[in-house]
Amino acid sequence: MESGYGVGIGWRPEIAGFVADLPGLRFVEVIAESVPATGPAPGLAELRDRGVAVVPHGVRLSLGGAEPVEPARVRQFARAAELLDAPLASEHIAFVRAGGVEAGHLLPLPRTREAVDAVVGNVARVQAELSVPLALEPIAAIFDWPDDELDEAEFLTEILDRTGALLLLDIANVYANARNRGTDPLDLLDRLPLERIGYVHVAGGSASDGIYHDTHTDPVPQEVLDLVAELSARHRPPALLLERDGHYPPAAALRAELDAIAAASGYPTVT
Amino acid sequence: MTGGTRPEAEPLDPYVDRPGSAGTLGERQAALVAALVAGAPLPPGFDARLVGVARSALLHKRSGEVARHWPLLAAGHGRHWTAVFAAWAAGRPTSGSIRDGWDLARQLAAEGRLPASGAEELAVREAGWRYDGRTAPRRRRLPTLRRTGNAVVVQVAGRVRMWIVPGLPGAKIDSAPPGP
Repeated sequence: MESGYGVGIGWRPEIAGFVADLPGLRFVEVIAESVPATGPAPGLAELRDRGVAVVPHGVRLSLGGAEPVEPARVRQFARAAELLDAPLASEHIAFVRAGGVEAGHLLPLPRTREAVDAVVGNVARVQAELSVPLALEPIAAIFDWPDDELDEAEFLTEILDRTGALLLLDIANVYANARNRGTDPLDLLDRLPLERIGYVHVAGGSASDGIYHDTHTDPVPQEVLDLVAELSARHRPPALLLERDGHYPPAAALRAELDAIAAASGYPTVT
Repeated sequence: MTGGTRPEAEPLDPYVDRPGSAGTLGERQAALVAALVAGAPLPPGFDARLVGVARSALLHKRSGEVARHWPLLAAGHGRHWTAVFAAWAAGRPTSGSIRDGWDLARQLAAEGRLPASGAEELAVREAGWRYDGRTAPRRRRLPTLRRTGNAVVVQVAGRVRMWIVPGLPGAKIDSAPPGP
């Protein structure tokens, strides 16, 4: 993603009016599976037509599934990118179904070479259909598999190297995983290929059951904003996007979160 | 799947026989998903407490998604909605939020536990769509009439109308007439 997109926000129907009114907005993201074959929702089409970049973000491809990604899903994903005139598209390093059963959520992969092979194969199948670059997002995992062969940085770097994909780094996931595993989030930032970042996700969460949950329905904690600053000091990403998926706060609170991300990354405010 | 009597021609898969990992990636993913959403036992080696936390978080998230598609069903349960949904959904993999809400509403109706607002929402859906409980609902082509509590729901040519008729007794949902 070319530099200068700055701060964006995930477009959702519930906050379409708020998003449309952001004067400095240059990019948004939309859930790829929500884009109808007949074309995007009117509000989204208006944003696209006024020059706001719209990035489709897939959540159901199951790139990390052992079985090949379903061709119909790949076609729908690629078509969404075309309908949106997107500069790139993104999906997760995760699986969401197995054995014909839907998990209903993004699940972590074992960090094994067999899992790397599965992801690489599926990414190649998607890239064959997709006319724009693909960015891959590591997820927040509440639990890990028992037999990891690679650590997180090795696992991600190998996938990026073998696929040529961009990295969609979710800084809130970096925070959540480090906090829940008792590791240092800066360690991971120091070991990831930050120059491969296509864009960054920023989101809120909350703690319960002794676990920090990446909910997207709570405010962005200061610790996550601090990581945005740490990341930007190392290698400022070309774009950062606020993800909010429910319990929408008053407009002033959302504007304040966008401004805080701009301040932490050194980009101009979009509000 | 453990070692032993492989046909000579089949190349050895280094991942299958590695200690601590029973089966291929696909088998292991299927076993984990079954444990997470379908009540199967947890494969060895996982942290049962953390997987339990993930299971609860998943049910909570699903309850919110179903509430978006069935707002009156959820609102009829007030602050108990998440618990009601989670009790029904635990061990039951999702069929998508629309069908999950539909299946739950039908079950609650059968048990006489469906709140009035949920009954109206269900009646409107049943009037407009045919749903066999196994595959995606399909829009009805023939007119339908439904009664639930003191509400009457009529669907003609895809348009659904509901009237409240004071004095109509009972909360039964009339059975569907045969579709096209």
